[in-house]
Amino acid sequence: MKDLKQLAFEQKIAITLLTVMSVLKGAAMIGQAVFFVLVADGVFIKGKDFGEITPFLFGLLLAIIVRSAAGYLIGRTGVDMAAAIKRQLRLKLINSFKEDPLLSSAESHSGQKVSLLMDAVDETDGFFSKYIPQLIQSYIIPIMLLAAIVSQNWTTGLIILVTAPFIPVFMAIVGKRTKEKADEKMEQLNRFSGTFLDILQGLTTLRLFGQGKKQKDKIEESSKNFRDSTVDVLKSAFLSSLTLEYISMLSIGIIALEVGLRLVVFDNLSFFSAFLIMILVPDFFTMLKDFGSAFHTARGSVSASQMMDEEFSKERKQVVWGETELAEGKVPHLSLENLHFAYNPQFELRDVSIDIEPYSKIAVIGKSGSGKTTLMHLIAGLLPIKEGSLLIDGKPQEEIEESSWFKQFSYISQSPYLFAGTIRENIAIGADRETSRKEIDEAAEKAGISELISSLPQGYETAVGEGGRGLSGGEKQRIALARAFLKKPTIVLFDEPTTGLDLQTERVLQQSIEELSRYATVITVAHRLHTIRNADSIVFLDDGRVAAAGTHEELAANFEPYRNLLPLPQGGAPR
Amino acid sequence: MNELAQVLKLTLHEKRDVALAIVFGVLAGLASVALLASSGYLISKAALTGQMTVLIVIGACLKLFGLGSAVSRYSERLFSHRATFTMLGNLRVSFFEKLSPLAPELYSKYRSGDLLARIIGDVESLQNFLLRVFYPPIVLLLVFSGTILFTMYFSVYTAILLAVGYLLTAIVVPAYFAWRKRRRNWKTRESRGALSAEAAEFLYGFRDLKIYRQLAGKEQQLARLAESYNEEQRSEGKEEVYSQSANGFIALLVSLAILASGAYFTAAVELDGLFLAMLVMISLGVFENVAPMAAFPAHFEESRKAAVRLESVVGEKPREKGIDELPEGSLSISAKNVGYVFPGEQRPALEDITIDLPPGSKTAIVGPSGSGKSTLLAVLMDILPASSGHVLFNGISSEEFPQESIWQRLNVVLQENHFFQGTLRSNLQIADPSATDEQLASAMEKVELGGFSLEMDVEEKGQNLSGGEKQRLAIARAILKKGEVWMLDEPVSSVDSKTGQLIYERLFEGQPDKTFIVVSHDLTGLEKMDQIIVLEDGRLIEIGSYNELMRSKGYFYGLKEIEQQVMA
Ligand SMILES: Nc1ncnc2c1ncn2[C@@H]1O[C@H](COP(=O)(O)OP(=O)(O)OP(=O)(O)O)[C@@H](O)[C@H]1O
Ligand SMILES: Nc1ncnc2c1ncn2[C@@H]1O[C@H](COP(=O)(O)OP(=O)(O)OP(=O)(O)O)[C@@H](O)[C@H]1O
Ligand SMILES: [Mg+2]
Ligand SMILES: [Mg+2]
Repeated sequence: MKDLKQLAFEQKIAITLLTVMSVLKGAAMIGQAVFFVLVADGVFIKGKDFGEITPFLFGLLLAIIVRSAAGYLIGRTGVDMAAAIKRQLRLKLINSFKEDPLLSSAESHSGQKVSLLMDAVDETDGFFSKYIPQLIQSYIIPIMLLAAIVSQNWTTGLIILVTAPFIPVFMAIVGKRTKEKADEKMEQLNRFSGTFLDILQGLTTLRLFGQGKKQKDKIEESSKNFRDSTVDVLKSAFLSSLTLEYISMLSIGIIALEVGLRLVVFDNLSFFSAFLIMILVPDFFTMLKDFGSAFHTARGSVSASQMMDEEFSKERKQVVWGETELAEGKVPHLSLENLHFAYNPQFELRDVSIDIEPYSKIAVIGKSGSGKTTLMHLIAGLLPIKEGSLLIDGKPQEEIEESSWFKQFSYISQSPYLFAGTIRENIAIGADRETSRKEIDEAAEKAGISELISSLPQGYETAVGEGGRGLSGGEKQRIALARAFLKKPTIVLFDEPTTGLDLQTERVLQQSIEELSRYATVITVAHRLHTIRNADSIVFLDDGRVAAAGTHEELAANFEPYRNLLPLPQGGAPR
Repeated sequence: MNELAQVLKLTLHEKRDVALAIVFGVLAGLASVALLASSGYLISKAALTGQMTVLIVIGACLKLFGLGSAVSRYSERLFSHRATFTMLGNLRVSFFEKLSPLAPELYSKYRSGDLLARIIGDVESLQNFLLRVFYPPIVLLLVFSGTILFTMYFSVYTAILLAVGYLLTAIVVPAYFAWRKRRRNWKTRESRGALSAEAAEFLYGFRDLKIYRQLAGKEQQLARLAESYNEEQRSEGKEEVYSQSANGFIALLVSLAILASGAYFTAAVELDGLFLAMLVMISLGVFENVAPMAAFPAHFEESRKAAVRLESVVGEKPREKGIDELPEGSLSISAKNVGYVFPGEQRPALEDITIDLPPGSKTAIVGPSGSGKSTLLAVLMDILPASSGHVLFNGISSEEFPQESIWQRLNVVLQENHFFQGTLRSNLQIADPSATDEQLASAMEKVELGGFSLEMDVEEKGQNLSGGEKQRLAIARAILKKGEVWMLDEPVSSVDSKTGQLIYERLFEGQPDKTFIVVSHDLTGLEKMDQIIVLEDGRLIEIGSYNELMRSKGYFYGLKEIEQQVMA
């Protein structure tokens, strides 16, 4: 990502407007001071009467109006600019979330990603709405003010020229020291809010384990620690503004003295000039101080933008897709050749070769943690294959067009997700086409959930998911299953479809799955013997490798681990 | 202001820091006014006289005021920020304390992590309460009072104008903008909530969205929400700029009026012209202090809303509970005519359940999906309050005991378990912070997770573990707890049957004297249970030992029949 300043200066119109308005504001500030002084000078020194100075008062009014209006426009432009850029950033983030493969998306750190989208982007706001306008103003206005001051008394200008540079120098010195600490704090803060969220989400668990009180103490303590270290950092930040403040106050004092001296001792300065200088000088330093505090805001923005940068530049092992469209409605032949995949060195799926004929029924079994779900993800094209290939009708998966592939199949995962919405919407998401009421009814029927739905007062319109009605574990599972029956896919992947279902419901499902398999290839992960016995081929995974493959009879006869895994009655024959 | 009373109370906890912040804030304000005033006086005086001494005295004053102002400003910032962070800590703790007793029930109602995220945002946004809402008006009042008293000595009219200026810029204008804000009722927070909820859903449901090719649609929706949040922010930002400019404009107008009146009275020789420049400088200086008030309406409204929202979450009264401790020793649990209706539902999830679980007994709960097994377990362990009837511990109603005292005695594995971001070790230590590595490792062994290192990272919600691994980790965690009653809700449904059976055996045989209540769909192995409870549609339809149930040829017998058929 380009850096924030560059993003800002790409907004040409806004920058031009800011520049013009800054010039106008500077002029108005000078005008205001001049009229102030003209009035005071008029009555105090020149002894004019009130009537004579009224025009100056109107002039003053005009200057004030211009100054406020210019200030207002500068503020608005800043807000607009911030809004435009934040919009860009958010869209870019959303897009980058979309492009993530499964590996780093839904599976982990969703909380942090949401916070990136919300907080980090908002954190950049100050950079555009405060810092940039202030930056432009402080390029322009102090110089105008200085010119005005010099025109009255060059020595004052000299004093300012000597003292003012101390401000950025000091700020740089103090700022550099604080910067690292501040970044660290920022990170600590993020971590801390993250932990607080995690604690709140797991509050029931914590209380069940009697940790509620302890957590309270922990929150208290970490809040205290956090406060102390933050105050530490702030101390140095405040120290920089202390120096700023002190230098400006001191300069004002020196200048007042100098101006006074000239008035009294040398008598070579008019009251008009002196007073004008005394009004302009504080304005000059206020501009610098404002810039100083905007600078602090900007620093927060910069570390937020660094976090976003990391997200954008994260290396993504994307699943690659191609151009070849799959024929619709035709059940493809799948074949896996020497597939390799690893999340990390601890777990690896290696040398997986399976041939899946159209319309066949494949069961994947293996101990918990042996890589069954991982294999399903790979077949589905949700995880990037590291080595080897997945051939679809003889073509490598990389050449297949993505959406024509996803159109073909359904995948009911081990923990399906219910979206906030009605039951109907949650089922209909399965088919991405218009679906009739009847179709949804049928799908629910096949999934064995229609009875429950019709017992609900609002039926299919009952809200479920976040903030909706709670459902039992098996009920959620069956709603997700209905999606598959609605879609009429040519490939179906089931990851333990009947977990947590009673036998009766399971039997209903089994029939539906049987029916599905007449039109599709069905690949099922299962733990129960009766779900896998009729499979054309059973793939036995052990620690990421295909240990054996064959029909039930073959495996039961020849493969010891298979007999051990499933509780077969003595003698090895199925009950 | 009522809504903010609670926050105010917490803020005032830090009396010393708040008081010091106010004192230094006032000093800083007054010193900077004094600095400008004396510089104004100095040049006027210098224009008239040639006395060096006056010049030197005032020059010294200038430096003094300058230093005083800078140092006071520094101290003010320090104390006010310290107070703010302390308050934020207090706020978190107090919120946590209030939320804690509501936890299980509240979560069954909202359950959304996003709601919690929003809560955190609200707590966080209350940190502005002290800095930007509570104390600027107070400091401002004192600074103005001091300044007005001082100017009164020179010119009553100037004093009056300053007072009017104060009323306008510190009270009328902020109040007007606060009112506008309330009326316009920006939906910034709401649209923010909507965006973050949708984003969370986008990420949590990513896989399903991708498979069902809904990503593009959801992405557009997300973009639309981002857009509307952005627009709300934009218009709110503009409002703030407006309020700021209006305030600044009025302050300048008041200075103009002071100049005009001063000029008028000087011309009419009612005011010594010597003081004119000083008065003008005073008015310019004092109004510089008004700047923070421009942000007041925004922060006030924000804090108010945050307080209201927080109150609406934790404002619910926790259930009335007794404070007795559950007696030591063996624990018998029974349910008498227990019923439960989920909030907002008409149909009861449980009806008239009466069961008895003596110490050391082994009970299985079976029944079709949705029959109320998990609900019964939740009521038995006092996560959900019985809507009718009673749950009794050693014959005494559970209402007499605090939840913690009951939970201390239970080893619970829920149907869905929460894991914390951290390591396997940190997740296990929740059960027993003092457990040694050997104990942790032996618990892992018992659930066949012996191959995992205790230092292994656990990601958000245990997402980098397989389904069965998560279930087994939850069991290992419960093993470490050492309560005497086990309550397990389908603890091994995603584990292969062999490993599942192995784990069950280790649990049962390792601790014969403990009470077990297990929800299971697996009908094998139930012969060993003392009693089997069969639920259907929230009612208890059969109860008895395996042999009794098989003999009576009722529902359970039917289930067993089905099992035979399926298996055959
Ligand atoms: N996102 C991930 N990041 C890192 N490791 C992972 C991730 N998901 C799974 N693993 C690890 O990979 C291994 C295989 O996991 P997988 O989910 O494929 O197992 P499984 O056979 O489906 O098991 P189960 O029957 O318990 O669901 C496990 O050891 C698991 O800890
Ligand atoms: N939060 C809730 N709000 C309303 N109704 C609910 C809620 N949670 C569960 N229910 C309903 O209560 C009934 C019992 O649910 P429960 O979770 O106890 O079933 P279960 O027997 O554990 O089923 P499973 O075997 O599928 O887990 C179900 O009909 C379910 O729809
Ligand atoms: Mg799995
Ligand atoms: Mg359940």
